[in-house]
Amino acid sequence: MLWAVNIVAGVFLLVLLAVRKNYRTYAAFSIYVFLNLILGVLAFLVYRWLGFSSDASWRISWGMQALVLCARGLAVMEVCKHLLSHYRGVWALAWRILLGCASLVLLYAGLAARHGLGFVLPKAERALELAIAAVIVGVFVFLRYYDVEAKREDRSLALGFCLYSCFGVLNNTVLERFLDSYVTLWNFLGMLAFLASMLLWTWALRKPQTEGSPKETLLPSGVYQTLAPQFNLRLRLLNEQLVQFWKTEATRN
Amino acid sequence: MNLTLILFFGFVALLLLALGWALRKPRNARNLPTDPHALEEGQRHVDYLPQIRQALAAADYDFLSRRASRGALQRVRKDRRGIALAYLAALRGNFQSLLRMARVIAVLSPEVAAAHEFERLRLTTKFAWQYQMIRWKLMAGFAPLPQLDGLSALVSGLSVRMEAALKELGERAALAAELTSSMNRRGLSAV
Repeated sequence: MLWAVNIVAGVFLLVLLAVRKNYRTYAAFSIYVFLNLILGVLAFLVYRWLGFSSDASWRISWGMQALVLCARGLAVMEVCKHLLSHYRGVWALAWRILLGCASLVLLYAGLAARHGLGFVLPKAERALELAIAAVIVGVFVFLRYYDVEAKREDRSLALGFCLYSCFGVLNNTVLERFLDSYVTLWNFLGMLAFLASMLLWTWALRKPQTEGSPKETLLPSGVYQTLAPQFNLRLRLLNEQLVQFWKTEATRN
Repeated sequence: MNLTLILFFGFVALLLLALGWALRKPRNARNLPTDPHALEEGQRHVDYLPQIRQALAAADYDFLSRRASRGALQRVRKDRRGIALAYLAALRGNFQSLLRMARVIAVLSPEVAAAHEFERLRLTTKFAWQYQMIRWKLMAGFAPLPQLDGLSALVSGLSVRMEAALKELGERAALAAELTSSMNRRGLSAV
């Protein structure tokens, strides 16, 4: 039942992307939704033919999941770019930091996971989901730190990806712990979380989107080179005042 | 409890906390100036520094402790603490104005240097930590009021340095804003 609802929601989102011509703005996202839909149907057929618990269906479905995950990674990259790339300098700094963060998170997930070859695919998926969530949170932190406005639609798309990824991590972790007794619930909760994300995306893309917001007028690069050290100097001065105050207090105490 | 479970649930909890913080509107975001000329506003408290210095002078307190009643002395102590806290708040206001301007410049620049950005992040963290520590200390009354004498020396030093710094910075920021607006008028982009 939930599977059918997910398919209908996916088709609706895809139609919405086509009708509103949002696939131009969100090409990678559209491909992800399309691929997810197609592979979802294929997975259903595979389970029907080979059985839910068979080794072959397990391998095929995880292979397809890996494809979907790659597509999701690209879609997330696209959304992150939409969120920050108007600010060229900040984006150039941000994507390097985010890439570094993603690598560290992958490493963390690898170390935190139980060793052994069992459940390699779910573990890899969990690591990638965690990296995706960390990257999206990182982008939101950048937006907050630099106090820049982003389009509500982009924020909603990113939020949908982030919450789904977080849930995916938790769901896979519980699955690893409780194995067979949790498989049915794991599947149900996974679909429910995806449905929630799809509803959020559908709401975000209900209106046609313009192809990127107009570029900000940037300052000549010399301005930053001149002013940034000056600002830092002033900030350091204020810090020194506080340090002196602190030291005065501490000495007298 | 399984360690893997703790590690992953903990990490996700941290991510969600960070997400919540990032999505929350800053409390005073709308009050902070973005206009470079608004930096001059930050100078206002500097104009009152002689009075603040006078209010915090040790001689005044000594004089009062000899002549005034216990109640009056307590009120003075409370007022002096209020002045110190207000001074700290003004310092913080200045810091935040500068920070905001620096961020605007970074956002509008085609290239930013990681070293400058990390340095600013470090200074911000350091300032926030020290500010809170001093504030709590003052509020809890751990800093006996005569100790606030040191503040007057700090304040007078700061007034001279900040006045010069803010003036110079205001001029530079105004120049940057002028450059941007002139490009806008001509319909050009620096990109």
